[in-house]
This record gives sequence, C-alpha cells and structure tokens, in this order.
Amino acid sequence: MSAVSEAATSPAMRTREATVRRFAFTDMVFRAATRASAILVLVLLGGVAISLIAGSWEALSKFGISFLTTESWNPVTENFGALAPIYGTIVTSAIAIIIAVPIGIGIAVFLTELCPRPLRRPIGIAVELLAGIPSIIYGIWGLFVFAPFLQTTIQPFIIWLFKGIPGLNSLFAGPPYGIGLLTSSLILAIMVLPFITSITKDVFDTVPAVLKESAYGIGCTTWEVTRRVTIPYTRVGIMGGVMLGLGRALGETMAVTFVIGNAHRISASLFAPGTTISATIANEFTEADGAIYTSSLVALGLILFIITFIILALARYMLLRIDSRTGA
Amino acid sequence: MSTAQSLHQSRKRKNAVMMALCVIAAGIGLAWLALILGALLYKGLSGVSLAVFTQMTPPPGDAGGLLNAIYGSIVMTIIGIVVGTPIGVLAGTYMAEYGRFSKLTTVVRFINDILLSAPSIIVGLFVYELMVRPMGHFSAIAGAVALSILVIPVVVRTTEDMLNLVPNALREAGTAIGAPRWVVIRSVAYRAALSGIVTGILLAIARISGETAPLLFTALNNQFWSSNLNAPMASLPVTIFQFALSPYEEWQQLAWTGALIITLTVLGLSIIARSLTGRREDR
Amino acid sequence: MKPMLSTDLNVADTTVEKAKIEIKNLNFYYGQSKALKDINLSLPERSVTAFIGPSGCGKSTLLRVLNRIYELYPKQSAEGQVLLDGKNILDRSQDLNLLRTKIGMVFQKPTPFPMSIYENIAFGVRLYEKISKAEMDSRVESALKRAALWNEVKDKLNASGQSLSGGQQQRLCIARTVAVKPEVILLDEPASALDPLSTAKIEELIDELQADYTIVIVTHNMQQAARVSRQTAFMYLGELVEFDRTEKIFTSPREKRTQDYITGRFG
Repeated sequence: MSAVSEAATSPAMRTREATVRRFAFTDMVFRAATRASAILVLVLLGGVAISLIAGSWEALSKFGISFLTTESWNPVTENFGALAPIYGTIVTSAIAIIIAVPIGIGIAVFLTELCPRPLRRPIGIAVELLAGIPSIIYGIWGLFVFAPFLQTTIQPFIIWLFKGIPGLNSLFAGPPYGIGLLTSSLILAIMVLPFITSITKDVFDTVPAVLKESAYGIGCTTWEVTRRVTIPYTRVGIMGGVMLGLGRALGETMAVTFVIGNAHRISASLFAPGTTISATIANEFTEADGAIYTSSLVALGLILFIITFIILALARYMLLRIDSRTGA
Repeated sequence: MSTAQSLHQSRKRKNAVMMALCVIAAGIGLAWLALILGALLYKGLSGVSLAVFTQMTPPPGDAGGLLNAIYGSIVMTIIGIVVGTPIGVLAGTYMAEYGRFSKLTTVVRFINDILLSAPSIIVGLFVYELMVRPMGHFSAIAGAVALSILVIPVVVRTTEDMLNLVPNALREAGTAIGAPRWVVIRSVAYRAALSGIVTGILLAIARISGETAPLLFTALNNQFWSSNLNAPMASLPVTIFQFALSPYEEWQQLAWTGALIITLTVLGLSIIARSLTGRREDR
Repeated sequence: MKPMLSTDLNVADTTVEKAKIEIKNLNFYYGQSKALKDINLSLPERSVTAFIGPSGCGKSTLLRVLNRIYELYPKQSAEGQVLLDGKNILDRSQDLNLLRTKIGMVFQKPTPFPMSIYENIAFGVRLYEKISKAEMDSRVESALKRAALWNEVKDKLNASGQSLSGGQQQRLCIARTVAVKPEVILLDEPASALDPLSTAKIEELIDELQADYTIVIVTHNMQQAARVSRQTAFMYLGELVEFDRTEKIFTSPREKRTQDYITGRFG
C-alpha cells in the first residue's frame, strides 16, 4: 500500500477536514468583505446624492424653481439664484469643447496615422501626463502667465478687429481684463484636451486593420480613410470621449476659479468676468454665513452633480457600446 | 483623363492640408505642455531654497517656507491612501473574482466610473455635510476622508482591470490544487496582478496630491504647524490657492514654488507608475 | 519505458477491476444546452484512462466534472452521479477544496504560479499540512524527482517557475499536483502545447505514475492515447460512444463511428 491510501484513513485526513472548515469560513469572510466594499461604492454615490439634497433643501424650498431662473446672487438680502453660475458653467464648457475636440481628434490622427513609430509612445505619454497635472497648476499659470498675455495682446486686437461688426462687437466687447469667460474656456480646453485625445486614440486603435487597408487598397488618401472609415467607425467612442471631457470641464474647479473673475452676472461679452457653479462654491463656501447662503451653495453643487451625472452616464454608455463591439 | 487627374490633384491637396492641420494640432498640444512646465520651472525654481522645506508659512509680507503645508499634504495623502486603498482593492477584487458574473458588478462598475470622473468639489461638499457639519469644525481627518473617496474609484478601476488580465487558467490551476478561492486570489491572482495594482495606487496618490477643491471646506487651512488630526490642517494645494490670489509678492513666490513641488511629485509618480506597467507589457 | 499496448494484462475486461470512479447517468449543461448526455463510465483504479474524440465532443467537459472545476463559472451544471470510492462527489455536501486535494488536475497550457519553483510545490502542500522546513524540503525534492524534473532544477529552486521552458513548466505542474498526494490525477491535453521531446517525457512520466494513481487523460492525439492508456473512451457529440481496453478500441472497435474516427475519416 502506498502513502496515498494510508492518508485517507489516518488522523491527517481529520486535520484536513478541520482545515477545510477553516478555509470555508475565511472564504466567507473575505467574500463578504469584498462584496461590502463593492456595495460601499454604490453607497458613496448614494450618500453624495442624499447629502446634497439634504443640504440644499432649505434653499430649494425657499426659492423653488426660481432658483434656476434668477440671476441675482445677493448675500446681503439673502436672495440667491443660480442662473449666472449655470450660464457661466455651460458657456465655458461649451467653448472649451468646441476648441478641444478638433485639436484632440487632430492629435489622435497624428498619433495613429502620421507620427513616426519611435515618437508615438513618448508623445502619447506626454499628452497623458498633461492630463495628470493638477488643475491648480493650470489655474496659477492661467492667472499669472496666460491672462496677462491675453490682456495685453490678443484681447485688444480682437476688440479692435470686431469693433464695427454688429453682434461680434458685443460678444467681444472690452475692456480687456485678461481674466473672464473666454480665458476660462481656453484653460478648460487645454485641460480636457488630453482626455479627448487619449480616448480618441484608443478608439481609433479599435478599427480593424483590414478595414483601413481595404480603403487604402482602393486608393484612398490618409485623410479620406480617416474621414470615411476611421471616424464613422468610431463615432460613438469619440462621442463618449467628448462627453467625458465635457463632464470634466463642467466640474472643473480650481483652474476656473483663478481666472473667471467671480462676477455673478451674465454679460454678452466673452471678455467679461463671470462665474461658474464650482468657482462660486470654491470661492464663497467657507465665507458663507447664514444657513440659507450655505444651503444655496450646496444647491449649486446639487445642480452640478445632476448635470455631470447625466453627461458622464451618457459618456460611459457610449464607451460601453464601443467596448462591447470590440469584445464581440 | 484631365478631369480625373485634376480630381486626383485636389484630393491629394486636401489630404496634405488636413494632415498638416493634424501635425499642427499635435504641435499645439505639446507646446502647451512645454509652456506650462517652462513657466513653472522659471517661476518656481527661483524660489526654491532650504527655507521652503524648513520654515512655516509666513504672515503676509514676510519670508517663510511651506513646511506645515507640505507636512499636511503628506499626512492627509497617506491617510487618504491607507483608508481608500483597501476598500478599492477589495471592491475591485469582488468585481473581478467573486462577483465577476454578477449583476451587482455591472452596476458597481458603472457607478464607479461616474465617481471616477465626478467633480471633486462635490466630494468636498459631501464630506462637509457628512463630517464637518456634525462635528462643528473643519479637520484634517475630514480632508483625508475626502481624499480617500477620490482614491477609491481609481483603485477599484485598476484593480478590476488588472485582475481581469490574470489568465483564468491560473485561477483554475490554483483551484485544482485544492486552494480555496481566497487563497487563489491572495497567492496567485494578486501576485500576478501586483505591478498593475501598485500602478493604480501610485496614480491615485498622484491624483490626490494635487487636489484642492475637496480640501477647501474639509481640512480648510492652517497658518501654523499642526499635527492635530481633529483640527484644520494646511495643505500644499490650498496654500497655493490662498497665496497665489493674495497681493503679496512673497506669498505669490511661495505659491509658484509649491506648484512646482506638486507638479514634479505628480509627474514623477505618473512616470514611475507608467514604467511599472510598461515593463509588464514588454515582457 | 514500454508503452502499454501489449496484451500481457491479467484482466480481459475493464469492469473486473476495482472502480475508482464510477460515473452514472451524468448529464451536463452549459446554460440551456446539453453538453454531456447520459454518460455511464467506470474508471479502474491505478491505471490510465484516455478520453478521445473530435473537438467539442465533451471530453474536456467530462474531465472538468470529475473535480468540479466547472463550478468556477456560472450557468454550468451537472446532474447524475459521480462516485469516488462509492461516494457521490456531485453531492451538495461535498466540500470542493477537499475533493480537489483528492483529485488533482494538470492543464493544457502549463500554469506555473507566479512564485519560485520551490514555492510552486510547497504552496499546495502547505495548504493542508503543517510540516517542518526539513520535511517540506524533502517533500519538494521527492515531488520534483517524481516528475523527473529534480536534476534540471535542483540548483535553482528559488528561480521563478515562469523562467522554465514549456516542457519543464508542465512537469513542474505535475510535480505540484503529485506533491499534495492526490488519489486521482486529471490531465487535460497535457502535451498539446509541447514539443515532441517534452511530450515523450510527459508520456513516460504518466506511465510511471499509474503505479500509484488513477489517471484520466484527455487527448486529441490518438497515438498518444494508444501509447499511454490502458482503456479508452471515445466520445462524440456529448455522448460516450464506446469504452473498452485501449488495444481493443484501436484494433477492433465495435462501433462504426469509433472506427471512422480512429482511421481518420473525420474529426
């Protein structure tokens, strides 16, 4: 008889069974811990939603729907409306996206089609590093370097250029402060550029080589392949990337806070100072005295949370569709 | 014949123009990075001295350093990581292992991705409502909790992704030898995914070490040295925010120097993180 | 080592021998689709049984039922009975980890754990046994010797298991399985990813191991089945078509489908 069947009857087998019971117990505990942690992620998001609703209740019940439509933001009379920050948030994000999308797609095309192979990785990494720079750095740079530059060169030139043209002359009306809506938009554009670029590049890489090769095979130019094959094929993914960038632009706080000017009014001119939801919260929250003031700021946060949640959910949904296609 | 030729010419021209635009776009992207880093180095380096690392933040108009802010940043980052990492790794483990095929995982993945890119100032508001308001005062521990909430989604995401890369054959092999699931996860899956998970943690550190918005109304700021976790604590980003917007030249200089320190830290961490996974891919 | 195609077996019929594993009315499902249909099979103790058949015939599925490794995945289920020494392992009360210490498995692709050669083997042993360093050393050594790997790795036990060649990795996996002292060893196409020389070594090893272990091997390579096994089961479309002594299957099969397969008419 070998050791094998001896083991089956010996006390070793009994300790084995004790070990098995201990294992089963530890496994149950570990599994429960991992599951609880996964659920905690859901609880966190739920907690954010609940705390924002609770915190903003006072303001929302006092101002009702007019909170969304009132421009006035007056801590002295305790009359608050979110229209100016909402306007600023949407305008700056929209302009940022309009600027960043073509540039981002351009860089992605450059990286996938044109860039010499040895440079591809370093440039790709450089673009992604840009995404990792904390927003406060963009803010301080925008305030001390970029805004003065705009104030002394670009802005006076544009004001002079559009002086006589109706419409444009009010959109770009002086005086040139340097800081303001347009400056914030430009900074935001720089910040979301890496996101849009790296996601676009990733989805470009999902285009099957045969598809592009067959287009090249019938004599298409690089641009035609990009325009007619790559971009249509990856449209949903690019949209996802754009939405993700938009979500980031909408919620971006520090960079904007430095250069937006913090003025609670809606001006026609993009050169005028304005404010955004996040900049208002960042600037005023710790100084807010009075429950209704604080509550109004939290209500602003709730609005931002709802907007970004919708945008980000759409973005994820679109990126998921690209993933499931490549997975299939 | 000639129309075909001119069509061909115009297509080629159009291609050249569009491709040139793409190259210019890439040039713009890289130029921004160079401009920002250049300005940071130029303005920040001139303020670097031993005093920055040995002296406290000064009162307006005085010379001083950033010691208390650096200390506060390190303390809160460490607590944030220590609290957030285990939760993130465990949640990611559930998604890639025990709950790989469950509905819960699909939902958690979706919500986690939203949390990953949610505005950090909202996390600040959340922790304010959760801790600061009930406790009645700002505190370092509230700041650390806010940071840990930012750490969790990053770590969850990378842990799940990296564990999903571990071949199933390895799990089956571990299981086939009689190892219970938790041993397979601990001794086989974690080991195989280690460098990827560490990368995720490094990226999380990089992310929170520059975060300002969630600290503004949780840890607040502190002009002085404080190691009391139950009291307001200075941090590098918040100090930069305050000093940069001040009219005092000494403060503005310190803000630049602080910005340089943060940027170098973040870039350094990102590069280390990347080289860790890069080596993995090469192998 | 001489292959077991000779007729010097004492038993004329496999059913005479003591059965280690008895499979009764086994059905297996992937979700809704039935992958194994009413399998009845008896695997004799201390001998090599081969499962052959075209890909998708269910031979690997059947093997994966025997240690219930399929339980790792959802929507896979087995019904019927699989008796190990007379005890139904498909029973709900069967502890899976304990089952797997009795029934070891080696996979198609070598799967060394991400740890040293020594640890690869000690890992499984340590799970259920508390033994001293010296005992562990000798355990590792004997397992590696058993898998004919000792001479090649004895000077680099602390090297990573993944640094070995494919054939060495596979023998490491066999050593690892042997080290926990199982009663049955399941081999899922253990040589299909290896070169001919490594394959020959593995086959030689299987032949030696059957003195102590009940071995089940899945293979798509009929010559291999003929070389290493004492009895062979031919499966087709989820059914067990024919089960007999290997020699019989390969020389005078009863079923036409078996005949067609082994003469290479399909599969």
